[in-house]
Amino acid sequence: MKRRTFLGSTTALFGTTIFSGALPLVATAQTAPVTGGTLIWGHSETTQNLDMHQTGTASTGRVLQNVHNSIVTVDKDLKVIPMLAESFEQSEDGLTYTFKLRAGVKFHDGSDMTAEDVKYSFERCADPATGAVNFEVFNAVDTIETPDDMTVVVNLKSVNAPFLSRLAENGAGVVMPSGSGDTQGETPIGCGPFKFVSREFGNKVELARFDEYWDGPAYLDGVTAREIPEPTVRLTGLRTGELHMINDIPADRAQEIEDDATLQVVKWFPLNWDFVNLNHTFEPFQNPDVRRAFDMIIDKEMLLEGALWGQGATTASPSYPTSASYDTALTQRAQDIAAAKQMLADAGYPEGSLNIVFKATTNYPYHIESAQILVEWFREAGVNLTIEQLTWADWLSQCWVDKDYQMTMMNFFTLWEPDFLYYSLWNSTGAFNYRGINDPEIDRLTEEARITVDPAARADIYKAVQQQVFDQAHDIILWFRNGSIGAQPGVGGLDTVVHPNGSNFNFHKVWLQA
Amino acid sequence: MAYLINRLMSVVLTLFLISIITFAVTNILPGDVAMMIMGTQSNPEALAGLRESLGLNDPLIMQYGRWIGGILTGDWGTSLVFKEPIGPLIAQKVTASALIVVMSMTIALVCAIPLGVWAAVHRDRWQDSTASTVALIGVSLPDFFWGIMLILLFARGLGWLPSSGFVHPVDDFQLAIRHAFLPSLALGLGLMAHLTRMTRATMTGILGQEFIRVARAKGLSEGTVVWRYGLANAIGPVMTVAGLQVGYLFGSIIVVESLFNYTGMGWLTYQALLNRDIPLIQGSVFVIAAVVMLANLAVDLLYTLIDPRIRLA
Repeated sequence: MKRRTFLGSTTALFGTTIFSGALPLVATAQTAPVTGGTLIWGHSETTQNLDMHQTGTASTGRVLQNVHNSIVTVDKDLKVIPMLAESFEQSEDGLTYTFKLRAGVKFHDGSDMTAEDVKYSFERCADPATGAVNFEVFNAVDTIETPDDMTVVVNLKSVNAPFLSRLAENGAGVVMPSGSGDTQGETPIGCGPFKFVSREFGNKVELARFDEYWDGPAYLDGVTAREIPEPTVRLTGLRTGELHMINDIPADRAQEIEDDATLQVVKWFPLNWDFVNLNHTFEPFQNPDVRRAFDMIIDKEMLLEGALWGQGATTASPSYPTSASYDTALTQRAQDIAAAKQMLADAGYPEGSLNIVFKATTNYPYHIESAQILVEWFREAGVNLTIEQLTWADWLSQCWVDKDYQMTMMNFFTLWEPDFLYYSLWNSTGAFNYRGINDPEIDRLTEEARITVDPAARADIYKAVQQQVFDQAHDIILWFRNGSIGAQPGVGGLDTVVHPNGSNFNFHKVWLQA
Repeated sequence: MAYLINRLMSVVLTLFLISIITFAVTNILPGDVAMMIMGTQSNPEALAGLRESLGLNDPLIMQYGRWIGGILTGDWGTSLVFKEPIGPLIAQKVTASALIVVMSMTIALVCAIPLGVWAAVHRDRWQDSTASTVALIGVSLPDFFWGIMLILLFARGLGWLPSSGFVHPVDDFQLAIRHAFLPSLALGLGLMAHLTRMTRATMTGILGQEFIRVARAKGLSEGTVVWRYGLANAIGPVMTVAGLQVGYLFGSIIVVESLFNYTGMGWLTYQALLNRDIPLIQGSVFVIAAVVMLANLAVDLLYTLIDPRIRLA
């Protein structure tokens, strides 16, 4: 599909699930939900530390989504809506947030959720000694007060526009029972629709329905998340009926499963996004013309087809597609190798004079495949690209921490909160600025957005950031990748599984036909 | 007895040395566990905090001391990445691996010894070339190939056996065997081929010797000659190879473990290494080394039972 037609046709699909294949799905969707049964899910990844504050992996967050609830959440348009807080309000000056808690919320240990638990959870996350991944969310927090059992007041030192949105995910917004921190890593406890039962490490996680869930008990008796990282094994398990459901159908097999009328497929967009990184401390890449030329060497549409079997859509904007800051006007540079060659020559790098090492991690096999395709185009453009394959540990240590690379590629799960995305990645002091980008214009804009409370004005600022990233070719943004679930025909309610963030799964409204 | 004590002491000493080497090598590797835990969600500030809380900033000698002190008091520590107590974790994975190692070895020996003897007895005839061909195919094709074929046939095609997963024998013994069967078979086929060739070669040598001719001349039945006299002498080298394989298999069955999503010691060690999870690496390597050494010791002791001529001083 050409990019233009894609953009046209997908506006209706952004942020929603796309059903395909499988007639039985229709039949399933129309039958009424039934209670009972344990869903066996072939999970694509191994869970790690089960402490919601400490874990940085999407795999663990995906499972814990069922165990925990956050203070607020987002709807599919990424608007912040109530969750454990029945209502919330922000003071005129933007410095005070008041949360009115929902009554009758119980934790899995039977105790009632109160303001004290919220205060405990936030303070635990904010405490550097906890080692919480999202602790910086609370950097602007001055004090947390609990005037009564059902009210939490958070006072900020300075306006922090993204604060509320960041609380809409469990990483920072989770509420756990006061004092439970030390045991969360091994036996997580929260107030979500399922209780954590046990984990056999590297084998499975078992969850059981929590009958006293505030939003009504789930249909399923339980969920067994079997951890099966090998895609072929997952597919076999689905085909033999050992598994009710699997996530992450490998791109090269997606068509085959979609064509199988005995299985259901749910696809959603986007799961994550990818970009090619140029190290700005590497001499040739300090020249924006060289970066632009590199951008022009890449045919993103063909790369998507070649490395991901077309399971995604190209984009020039990394903003979440349904979010206000997504810039539909921005388009990618088209491939023009001859022009790129000329630009490189003008910049002082004639044919054959540039030797670049491209570091790609085997953690994402499609990154290796992308690199292999890139080598050919760069050869045509007179640039000698050598691929160096790195394990995940080596990639993190060389590229992420030491910034010791020339060119690489990475993906991020949808960082739908724009401050998290743009400040972290492109501000010169951003936590994720592993490319050494130092652009005063972007620094100014991202700081300004932080204190801009008006959503429309904020979105415009982020569009200006995207324009700057594109004009300067700070990074080469490639595509959003599709997410996918394959399931047996008897699994109902699949359209409710995927969280708006595209990564987390929730089984509250899923059922198994008898 | 003195021999046994001597050997056990050398096992302990070797384990100690191995633990020091593993610890040193793991610390030389680039990157650390804090970085692996946070991944692309990390920032320098958060990383520093996590390193401090994990005790990674302490001097190496102190970190090692803490670990070895724990081992000596029976506390294997907690995995840094997975937050699981290491002792029970390893116990579970050892059970998983032991189950398929023992099952695959049983399958291999039960098939390999008769096949090898059969080939040796009918040396250079069709029986021999058939057995050799079978063995050659088994040796040449990697175990993941057998794994895929077995999954296609028994799980996908016939639907007799589960294609993946591990069930603890204590929870459900029969189900545990069912889950372990295909991985064991995949592993056993390669082993069997290896041991068949070994048995055939040794038997061929033995059957050509003087005492066999004497036995035949005495008028003993061919069965007695081959099995009582021949195999009794040939079994020693075969058992040695089999015993060494047991230890070797323990840490190296990761391919088969991945293929069947049967997470055992190979998988655990690999995960530990990938994540730079030092206490877990230490614990896993320690156990695998111990199993290898104890398997060797067991083979040596077995010798005295198989071959009465050998006395261990």
